Amino acid sequence: MAGGGGKANMKPLGGVHRLREEHEKVVKDCDSRIQHWTKVSGDYDALSDRLKTLPDRLSYDIMVPFGPLAFTPGKLVRTNEVTVLLGDNWFAKCSAKQAQAVVDHRMKHVKKELDDLAQTRKNFEARVGLAKDLETMSANKGQFVDIREEVTSSTASKGKQRIAHKPNSKPKLDVVVDLNEEEEEKEGGTGAMTEEELWRRLDELERLEELQDEQDRLSDTADTNGNDSSSSSSEEEKEAACAPPVNGLSLKPGWSPAPHSDPPLHDRKAEDDEEEEGSRLPTIFFSHTVEPKKVRINTGKNTTLKFSERKEQKEHSKRKKKNGHSNGHAHHELHKITSPADVYRLFVDVRNGEPVPRKSILKSRSRENSVCSDTSESSAADFEERRVTGRSFSHDEATHSDTSDGVTEEDSPTAVPLLSRFEAFSGTVIEKDPMPTGVPHLTILPPALPTIPERKQEEVASDFTPPPAPEASKRLSKFKAARLQQK
Amino acid sequence: MKMSSKKYNNSDNSQEQTTYKEELSKKIKEQKVVVDELSNLKKNRKVYIQQRNSNIFFLADRSQTLSTSRKELDYLKKELQDI
Repeated sequence: MAGGGGKANMKPLGGVHRLREEHEKVVKDCDSRIQHWTKVSGDYDALSDRLKTLPDRLSYDIMVPFGPLAFTPGKLVRTNEVTVLLGDNWFAKCSAKQAQAVVDHRMKHVKKELDDLAQTRKNFEARVGLAKDLETMSANKGQFVDIREEVTSSTASKGKQRIAHKPNSKPKLDVVVDLNEEEEEKEGGTGAMTEEELWRRLDELERLEELQDEQDRLSDTADTNGNDSSSSSSEEEKEAACAPPVNGLSLKPGWSPAPHSDPPLHDRKAEDDEEEEGSRLPTIFFSHTVEPKKVRINTGKNTTLKFSERKEQKEHSKRKKKNGHSNGHAHHELHKITSPADVYRLFVDVRNGEPVPRKSILKSRSRENSVCSDTSESSAADFEERRVTGRSFSHDEATHSDTSDGVTEEDSPTAVPLLSRFEAFSGTVIEKDPMPTGVPHLTILPPALPTIPERKQEEVASDFTPPPAPEASKRLSKFKAARLQQK
Repeated sequence: MKMSSKKYNNSDNSQEQTTYKEELSKKIKEQKVVVDELSNLKKNRKVYIQQRNSNIFFLADRSQTLSTSRKELDYLKKELQDI
């Protein structure tokens, strides 16, 4: 041990020695600079004194320098006029008082420099002292003793086998993992670990704040986290504090139990990846439900209605409870839109029991009823899509001017089975329809819209796929073509 | 007659102190010379004081400069004794 210890110490010995030398160099440099600045300061002091007394007399008898080596007696006249060097060979003619002001200003700067240098010197002297101590400490182990604690696996594996009590609740495995890793990696990188923990905690707290409104969904799993035992007390406190929010978070996104049932002996990175991955699934779900946006909608009557998403969120929370969490997972998968074809896959109307691809995703339902916004979720989803991606579908906006104004359509009662599919976009604005269903909306729609008579035709005809194709091809050429191709 | 001032940071290091002492003793010697010269001047001589950091010499009163120089010397001596 002594030999090994000695060997280990040879390296730091050289390093510490060099460190001390470098610090001393800095101190010396500071010293020389301080010397220079004090000289300058003294010069300015003398100059200031001279300037104060200079205008006292009209002229002074002086020895005028005559070339580099000789002097000649002479007089100094015009004692009040001073030419001040401003730098870069620029001069200013000032009175003695003005020159004095300039000198005072420069003195301030010099003093500041002196103070800074003194501070730096002090700091580095302290560092030199520290390096010296370190040197002596590493050189002779007699005076200083290294205290080490070996971490056994038994102490580290205390909280290993914890599983989530609820399948969809996010267990506080992260925190437990942190604990384990903190113990294991005590010697190295503890500073970085705590930072990561802090960032994790920040994220969790943010999410917690967002979900505060949906507390009715939170089950009381807080009691399950109280039993966790940990070796370090600080971690315990953190854990206890983290536990309720973590669990509160977990319910909403619907974490699948599969990734979390593994023993928490993952690396921190693996855990983070899982977390990120898991969050990828419900991100769409989240972002729409949680954002409390207010949207103004122009209805056909030229009235603007305000709406908040809270109502919708509550509606959807109830529905989700009914549907179960499995649906939610399925929805997440379905709602992943990567291509325009996916959009058309998602936005389908169910008419007569068959899924009908919607002609325009900006419109939620057929226009046979009214232009007023509807209370359905599918139209809400549509509106959400509109809001989020409406810009990309410029041609739709061009053709359907009312939609550009932001009018949503009323949902037909037959579209109930589709409601559950668009829960993810439940954060859209839905307004109650003030207008009756049977009111025609001819006043709002420009006559150039081909879809209205089309849809009326659709309702009548049993086979509706052919009619939209030729009509729509005029207007919705690009997307229509893609959709048809996909079919 | 030159008027120069040098400040040294008094640190606990004995080495620096001895350097400071040497500097002080040097200054004292110079000051002694100045005082002796001033006192040994003829009455009609003019005394000029150099402006710091420049080549300008201002005419000064002989007796006055003598007393100033003496004060300076006493001060330096006191400082050396204080260390």
